[in-house]
Amino acid sequence: MQVDGIFNSTINLLGKSIDLRTRQQNLLSSNVANAETPNYVPKALAFEDELQNAVKGAKKGTAVLTHQRHIPLKGVSGRIETVSGRVVETPAKTPGKDGNAVELENEMSRMSENQIMYNASVQILSKKFEGIKSAIREGK
Amino acid sequence: MDFFSSMSVSASALSAERTRMNLISSNLANANATRTPEGGPYKRKDAVFSATPAETGRFDRALNNATSLEVRKVEVMEIIEDKNPPRLQYDPSHPDSNQQGYVAMPNVNVLEEMADMIHATRTYEANVTAVNAAKSMALKTLEIGR
Repeated sequence: MQVDGIFNSTINLLGKSIDLRTRQQNLLSSNVANAETPNYVPKALAFEDELQNAVKGAKKGTAVLTHQRHIPLKGVSGRIETVSGRVVETPAKTPGKDGNAVELENEMSRMSENQIMYNASVQILSKKFEGIKSAIREGK
Repeated sequence: MDFFSSMSVSASALSAERTRMNLISSNLANANATRTPEGGPYKRKDAVFSATPAETGRFDRALNNATSLEVRKVEVMEIIEDKNPPRLQYDPSHPDSNQQGYVAMPNVNVLEEMADMIHATRTYEANVTAVNAAKSMALKTLEIGR
């Protein structure tokens, strides 16, 4: 078993997930704010696949990228710490006359999904810490 | 890059929607005003929105990653007057009527203004929801390790 101190890779993963979801929240609120701006195209952060690959790579114990500017080998993924996601455009199927491609329903549902996932990550992270605390106190 | 930038983006939208609401109220209130200080009937007013980068300082830009550059605030760029011609209404007894007995009334369509008002209200509510979401997430973070 690979041990990074007492904090294992799950805690890193949860921290990264919280960080990425914060950025996602910023982009989504920018979309809602510009729901009436002409020619605005909504954006979102796509990071799920990248994060999943990083987790798989961490488990396999293969060569990993330790810097954002490293050139990835085939089948080798980045480390969890370097996952930054990419900003993708998420235009609505039917943009309005003014070229605005925001659909408020989509943005609101994405936002609540993001919020729930964020809360879940925070909750699991605090349970992790509770577990460590319990071990320190010898389960008392 | 934190929840406060998310909140300030939503706040910019709240103030932009409030400006729009003020203009709609002004249009509705003056739907029958035939005289203005500039002369002629009242002209319908509308706000033009524009998406501007949330962080403008060079230091902010250097410090943050590419994601934060995609976050846009909304600003009211200008307030324009509707170019449509005034609505002519036949009323020879009106002091502002012309030779043919027609009065130039403001180019305000009350029904359109009401629809715009509902739109502005809903958008405002959506932004309030976004602020609340960011707030509850930020508060949730404070529970880590409690």
